[in-house]
Amino acid sequence: MSEATIPRRAFFHIAAAGAVATQIGCGRRPNTAGQRYEVATACESCPNKCSVIAVVEGGMIRKLNPNPRNPKSRGMLCARGNAGILQAYDPNRLKQPMIREGKRGEGKWRNASWEEAFDYAAGKLAAIKEKYGPQGVVWSSTESFAEIFFKNLGLAYGTPNIVRHPTLCLASVNLAYSMTFGTVPSFDLQNANYVIMAGANRFESFITPDTMDLIESTMNRKARLICLDPRFTVTAAKADTWFPIKPGTDMAFILAMLHVIIGEGRYDKAFLDTYSTGFDKLQAHVIQYTPEWAEKQTEIPASEIVRIAREFSDAAPRAVFYAGRRSSWYQNDFQMRRAQAILNAVVGNWDKQGGMVPNGKMPLGELLFLPWDDPQAPRVDELDKNFPLAAKGDGAYLKLRENVLAGTPYPVKGWMISKQDPFNALPDQSKTLRMMEQMDFIGVIDIQMSDTAWYADVVFPESTYLERTDPIEMLPGIWPAVVMRQQVIKPLHNTKPCLDIVQGLAKRLNLSQYFDYTIEQWNEAAAKEMPIEMPLEYLKKHGVYASPDPPRYGATLQPEHRFVTKSGKIELFSERLQEAGHDPLPVYHAPEQPPAGRFRLVLGRKAFFTHANNTTNPWLLDFQKENRLWMHPQSAKPTGIADGDLVEVTSSVGSVRLRVKVAEEIRPDCVHMLHGFGKRSPWLKRAGEGGADAAILETAWDRVSGNAALHETFVQVRKVGVPS
Amino acid sequence: MKNEGKRYALAIDSRKCINCKACVVACRAENHVPLGHSRNWINEEHRGSWPKLFASFEPEQCHHCANPSCVRVCPTGASYQRADGIVMINEDECIGCRYCIVACPYGARFFREDTGVVEKCTLCAHRVDRGEAPACVETCPSKARIFGDLFDENGPLQQVLSTREHRVSKPQTGNSPQIYYLF
Amino acid sequence: MHEFEWGFLIVNYLFLGGLSAGLFFVSALASWLQQREDSDYSAIARAGALLAPWPVALGSLLLIFDLGNWWRFYKLFLHFRWQSPMSIGSWLLVVFTGIAFANCWAWVPADVKRTLLARVKLPEAWAGFPVNARILAAIGFPMSIGVAIYTGVLLGAVQARPFWNTNLVAQMFLFSALSSGCAALLIALSLRRQQLDSIQLRFLYTIDVCLISLEFFIVLPYLIHGELSVEAVRQSLALVLGGPYTVAFWVFFLGIGLLLPLAIEVWELAPAVFSGGSLHHNRRLTVLTAALVVFGGYMLRYIFVYAGQSSSFH
Ligand SMILES: Nc1nc2c(c(=O)[nH]1)N[C@H]1C(S)=C(S)[C@@H](COP(=O)(O)OP(=O)(O)OC[C@H]3O[C@@H](n4cnc5c(=O)[nH]c(N)nc54)[C@H](O)[C@@H]3O)O[C@H]1N2
Ligand SMILES: Nc1nc2c(c(=O)[nH]1)N[C@H]1C(S)=C(S)[C@@H](COP(=O)(O)OP(=O)(O)OC[C@H]3O[C@@H](n4cnc5c(=O)[nH]c(N)nc54)[C@H](O)[C@@H]3O)O[C@H]1N2
Ligand code: SF4
Ligand code: SF4
Ligand code: SF4
Ligand code: SF4
Ligand code: SF4
Ligand SMILES: [Mo]
Repeated sequence: MSEATIPRRAFFHIAAAGAVATQIGCGRRPNTAGQRYEVATACESCPNKCSVIAVVEGGMIRKLNPNPRNPKSRGMLCARGNAGILQAYDPNRLKQPMIREGKRGEGKWRNASWEEAFDYAAGKLAAIKEKYGPQGVVWSSTESFAEIFFKNLGLAYGTPNIVRHPTLCLASVNLAYSMTFGTVPSFDLQNANYVIMAGANRFESFITPDTMDLIESTMNRKARLICLDPRFTVTAAKADTWFPIKPGTDMAFILAMLHVIIGEGRYDKAFLDTYSTGFDKLQAHVIQYTPEWAEKQTEIPASEIVRIAREFSDAAPRAVFYAGRRSSWYQNDFQMRRAQAILNAVVGNWDKQGGMVPNGKMPLGELLFLPWDDPQAPRVDELDKNFPLAAKGDGAYLKLRENVLAGTPYPVKGWMISKQDPFNALPDQSKTLRMMEQMDFIGVIDIQMSDTAWYADVVFPESTYLERTDPIEMLPGIWPAVVMRQQVIKPLHNTKPCLDIVQGLAKRLNLSQYFDYTIEQWNEAAAKEMPIEMPLEYLKKHGVYASPDPPRYGATLQPEHRFVTKSGKIELFSERLQEAGHDPLPVYHAPEQPPAGRFRLVLGRKAFFTHANNTTNPWLLDFQKENRLWMHPQSAKPTGIADGDLVEVTSSVGSVRLRVKVAEEIRPDCVHMLHGFGKRSPWLKRAGEGGADAAILETAWDRVSGNAALHETFVQVRKVGVPS
Repeated sequence: MKNEGKRYALAIDSRKCINCKACVVACRAENHVPLGHSRNWINEEHRGSWPKLFASFEPEQCHHCANPSCVRVCPTGASYQRADGIVMINEDECIGCRYCIVACPYGARFFREDTGVVEKCTLCAHRVDRGEAPACVETCPSKARIFGDLFDENGPLQQVLSTREHRVSKPQTGNSPQIYYLF
Repeated sequence: MHEFEWGFLIVNYLFLGGLSAGLFFVSALASWLQQREDSDYSAIARAGALLAPWPVALGSLLLIFDLGNWWRFYKLFLHFRWQSPMSIGSWLLVVFTGIAFANCWAWVPADVKRTLLARVKLPEAWAGFPVNARILAAIGFPMSIGVAIYTGVLLGAVQARPFWNTNLVAQMFLFSALSSGCAALLIALSLRRQQLDSIQLRFLYTIDVCLISLEFFIVLPYLIHGELSVEAVRQSLALVLGGPYTVAFWVFFLGIGLLLPLAIEVWELAPAVFSGGSLHHNRRLTVLTAALVVFGGYMLRYIFVYAGQSSSFH
């Protein structure tokens, strides 16, 4: 480094203001002389939306501190939240609108003004509407505060083809609990005494406040934690008992627990009599599922299943079989989650302290600019036909992709994408690429040139979360809160917040009447219903409002309470499932097993990365610079594979190369690789090395919800090189 | 123990540590620690063999020793200890001889190539002096880190130290380290 | 895995400092023992005095060069910190270097002094300074021992490194430094056209055999003591007893750098001592042997600087 010989202080004298931005992240103390102030805002580095206090000095964000007022983030900020500063100061981020010039994916871009970008995109969207109708454009996005604006633009445009991230994430678990309880509850880990985590890797995959509550209750209150996971995760390491369950057999474990609990009369009879239907049928149904039978399926000893079933029911109602969050696992995922829901119901932990609690809410007002007309056309994924029970507004992503590729029931030629990277989030990249290639137009709103953006026609740079104010949002939960994200610094580049981008497009699509408001007005209207004086001022000052009263339990425990199910009761047996042609009680079907020489690819997260989106962040990449294929020594050895070897991992849809980590921490019949590596976009050159899991994952979905099934891929591993 | 003044220290409940690295990034941001170096880190230990596996995580940083060998060996007095126990480095006095690095039994110090001086955890003295908690302590999701004043009998540190068994790391160094690891 | 904070510059610095100390030490001894100006010992005293200041001066430059902020080295002399071996050492080093230079000047023949002074246009009176080389030798003698010990104390005082943390290291470094100086003189004097005479050889060999033996009998207890010591010390000794530095220690330092030259020197001395005969005059062997001693001294520093940094309390 050439500065090495210049005393640091002198150097800062010379440093131009513009150079200051790049000092963040390279460890040099930036010139922060100047005004210091703090802004209460919210994190956007993952879906948890933790509350943050941003410290600004001399016009630069100096530090993000946790805001302890938020009962969900409980005064913490994770590694990704702390590293969020670098998002704004990333030299490779999108800095202005871009329009594609060369072939798709060729990488020839020209800088454009916002006017040009809006005109160009609106022209294309209008042309598609003209030729194919509004249903000719897919509108896809992942959850964020501002997603509502983007989604509303799709609705106003008139497309039925809105598709959202739940169908890659938690659609099956949500549907399973909804079908059982009429709602999706939270799990009171703060007060539970017995917790079963099946795959939900809470200590690496952060969910607030569950992650913090679980560590507190297991370590300080000595709550018991049972972990089932084919990998030895951090959650497994902290658990009292860990079982490397055979993948895809969780339902057998749950059914056998039900067998024991019901067979030994350990269920909450009074509760079930009052609040549920179908217990008789359940009782008869689970007789077949003995622990001995389950042992053969799960490879968990029958005696242990019996022990856990007894301990679980003894601890009830302060006992939970945790639902999980990413339930995009197997084709029977919905039924497995249903079995969980039923198990929880049977021990009577509903709406009790330490059990499952229906989410509390807080009132928010709305600015209404409805109605736009209901879309004329049916959805291209034919949700009504394929997944009649699924949430209507979210769609079924993988079925949608199949139909778009097949051109049935009608052609789809446009794709609007916001805050999503389908190229990496969907399995089978070659299919996604084909879907992109057959589009007349793709518009992407992102903050960086993601792999998806790389194949787009127009890229709209959104201001990063620290540079914009978003709509305030209520986070439901056991202790709900209203949180606000507000601008910390002015945009550093020629970028806009989502609402401005939506308005720019709306104007040219003659849809302005639906977006005729400012973010201020929107937030004022939303805050109006809050139960405090001057709510918006309060939020601007504190960033979050949570009810001063601690959570209360049992509001739904009145015999006259109607659950939002067909029968008004907790449905152990579901007539609606039966009518839709599905098993009304969860029936176990053994999952297919990988043939000899093949391995099941299982996914999972690390605490310091979010999906595929921040593996370019130098502060995070510092902890892991590449993804490696986890392989058990028992499976690596016979094939002559040693730690650090370069291997080719092949499935029926593709292959990737990466190095091997020989590790005891995974079952011999599985392999694992971390998401977010092996990027294609040259703009993400800082991303770590390795392979992209999405390139080899095969397309499969849950039969009931249409949720992606991402653990159904078997791969071959071939050594292609030795460590250099 | 005399009750005058303050004596800052840390207690760490390693069982609670989930190796999430929030503390490391928070420190990097707060103190502009250059990439390639860290003022704090997590010692990982993996034991056992399939399927009886164990893993434990132990956060570590400068122990702010009561008897700091780094301060003793420093030829210029750049390394010094404040009255409240915080071991500091005066960057303007440091000549970069790195004797203190060699002399620290905990590997807490590192040499900055860009500035030519030695750096380490300051217990976020600048935050502490404003009445705030150190950045790593504040941000920790599992609250595995407890910061406080050892002389404050009712403070959070004494509360936990008087009720929980604890140990210090490598007491045989004679440095009298002041991070208390809870059992 | 382990990053080394101190590298070759420090190895060289410790070695060169010790070398100067040894040169001065032997020169001072010879200077006292000389009866007349032109005695056998005066050649040794002069050679030692002329050579002594240079290695330490170079070593100090290396040390300064090794600092992260070399232009701040003056800060070393704004403080005196008695607990810091480096602080004490720095002071010792400047004082010693100053004396060594003065002593060197004192041994330059008067006519050469005058020519030199004339060339750089300095007053001729300086040629008369210093008057008494013996007094300089007397002051510098303890300093030289101090410097030689200091290079060991610098390491030995670091309690964080069990490999170093015994005062035997200081003694080992002391004897090694002095014997390196002695060996350097053997080389220097052997390379002259004029042969070393028996008295000179016998003087230098005797000193060197004593010093090497002392060093060897420090190394032995260092190992034994370490093996009987606490776990951390035993673990750190594994670095040389079946670790990365085993070959360097046993073969290059102890074997080739210590015992082999000791054996040769004893063999060379033997006839003179035991049978009243004369020394085996063998110029090449003398140079080779002395070179091995110097090499051994260098290896010792290399091994200690590196292995010591790898050692820690586990
Ligand atoms: N192989 C594999 N696939 C998976 C998963 C997996 O674990 N493995 N997980 C599944 C799950 S659970 C989920 S939730 C999905 C998530 O899928 P995605 O939502 O696609 O996940 P990310 O990788 O976070 O991509 C988000 C995109 O948003 C961009 N972005 C970040 N901040 C902003 C912002 O402020 N504004 C805008 N406009 N853009 C922003 C990022 O640059 C990135 O391109 O993936 C699913 N797919
Ligand atoms: N740090 C971090 N935190 C995050 C996110 C992130 O990207 N990074 N993303 C957020 C989002 S959107 C989501 S959806 C959640 C996801 O959080 P989780 O629901 O915890 O999902 P994953 O981390 O994908 O973990 C799935 C685990 O299931 C295990 N598994 C695989 N197959 C089976 C099986 O058949 N049976 C059992 N019992 N286990 C199995 C895998 O080994 C893996 O450890 O995390 C959220 N929090
Ligand atoms: S969990 Fe971490 S990344 Fe997610 S919102 Fe909270 S601080 Fe941000
Ligand atoms: S922030 Fe806390 S839990 Fe996370 S690694 Fe650091 S000490 Fe451990
Ligand atoms: S841990 Fe090391 S750097 Fe910190 S006070 Fe102790 S000796 Fe000094
Ligand atoms: S590197 Fe700096 S702080 Fe460390 S001993 Fe040398 S002068 Fe003191
Ligand atoms: S106390 Fe401050 S300086 Fe020390 S490790 Fe924590 S954040 Fe870093
Ligand atoms: Mo997700």
